[in-house]
Amino acid sequence: MVQAFFTAAVLLIISIGAMFGHYLYKDTQLLQDHIQKITILTKGSTLSFSTAYYEPRIAIQTSSNPAYPQMQTINRMDFIYAK
Amino acid sequence: MQNSTFLYFLTRLLFKQKSKHIGAVLISILIIFLLSAVLFISTSLQSTLMQTLKNQADFTVTRLKAGYPTQTPLEWIDKISELNGVSAVAPRVYGQYFFTPREKSFLIIGVDFFEEQNAQILKEIIGNLELKPFLSEDSMLVGEGVKIFLNAHYFKKYFTFKTPQGKFKKVHIHKMLAQESNLIANDMILMPLKLAQEILGMEEEEITDIAFNVPNDAEWDNIISKLHLMFYDVRVVEKREVQKAYENLYNYKGGLFLVLYLITIVTFMLILYQRYTMVYSTERKEIGILRAIGWSINDVLKLKFYENIVIVVVSFVLGVVLAYGYVFILDAPLLSQIFLGAANLENSVVFIPSIPFGLLGSIFLFYAVPFLAAVLIPAWKIAVTSPKEAML
Repeated sequence: MVQAFFTAAVLLIISIGAMFGHYLYKDTQLLQDHIQKITILTKGSTLSFSTAYYEPRIAIQTSSNPAYPQMQTINRMDFIYAK
Repeated sequence: MQNSTFLYFLTRLLFKQKSKHIGAVLISILIIFLLSAVLFISTSLQSTLMQTLKNQADFTVTRLKAGYPTQTPLEWIDKISELNGVSAVAPRVYGQYFFTPREKSFLIIGVDFFEEQNAQILKEIIGNLELKPFLSEDSMLVGEGVKIFLNAHYFKKYFTFKTPQGKFKKVHIHKMLAQESNLIANDMILMPLKLAQEILGMEEEEITDIAFNVPNDAEWDNIISKLHLMFYDVRVVEKREVQKAYENLYNYKGGLFLVLYLITIVTFMLILYQRYTMVYSTERKEIGILRAIGWSINDVLKLKFYENIVIVVVSFVLGVVLAYGYVFILDAPLLSQIFLGAANLENSVVFIPSIPFGLLGSIFLFYAVPFLAAVLIPAWKIAVTSPKEAML
């Protein structure tokens, strides 16, 4: 039983090693370069939220209901943004 | 008690009673997996955005009308340029184009392709982009989401925009932006400034806002005051505000997810506590036998502690490793839609690995301490009773 336990422990350690290996050696430079360059080109950056047209697409925009612009809306993003 | 004997007994016990532990392990893995996945996604998005900050303008100025942003006059650029300490004043033209038949929208951004830096960057991100043919006709560069959407609707080479004046504008789809930039450019359309103005219904002398830098930080507040004195109907957004917005974005402390997690973990602990307080007769018998053969209360608690710490560590490690693979190898299918939305164009993003070690440590403590308490307190209650009574 001790042997089975050690085998399980080794497998667990290998999985942690694989995770850190991926974390340390994954080439993220290309991804970061592209994002930085688009930011320079557009002079601003915001996540590409796939939101409905009346929800804020730009991070600092506020949303309003097109039918009742004066009404405060609550949308999914309100739960994600800490106000 | 010799350590090797204790370890042997512990491991035998764990493997023999695996059916007893499997439920707790599976639920724990699920909770840790979900929480870690959410944290990995939010930390990755936040760190990516924070890195883009250094390339963003220090200030953006927009004109307000009745409290809403409206077109900013181009002449403001000259006025702002005259301020001391201001540099790199540039117009920005952007806006959303709503494609009514499918209720989808694109983010149109006007770019000055004649600016040397912009032309250079374009060549770098789009391998063999020739500017001459690109600028010789009305052309645009589109994000992957836009490209897929337009292809699906048979706009393979051209797309016809409808301007607010009711005119149609046929624009050539020149190239697609690299998939690597999907995180910020999935629904983006880049086109020359003039063309963007026309499609968004702006006059030649109108822009969306003005971006500029103030290299000396100490001058920032002074510049804001000057801008407010110069224009009465203006909204100034500082980089500091954007930074704060990014810091608060997906803030785990203010997020819905933490509340959900707390509810789940408390429920789980209650179930666990209830289960162990109504300990099965076998469990009571087991503790009673150990006490009867001479184990001290301390030894029994030590056994229960190590037995459960193994379960806690295994569940935690498996939960975190699975979440890492799900987010950074599989790119978080389904869960990413909670963060980025799914109401508009489909977005397949690649997350840049980022591990919040401090947060993971806190989660481990918040998870391990109640878990162990929920198990050890009932075990201690049985261990302190006489062996005869415990075995009844």
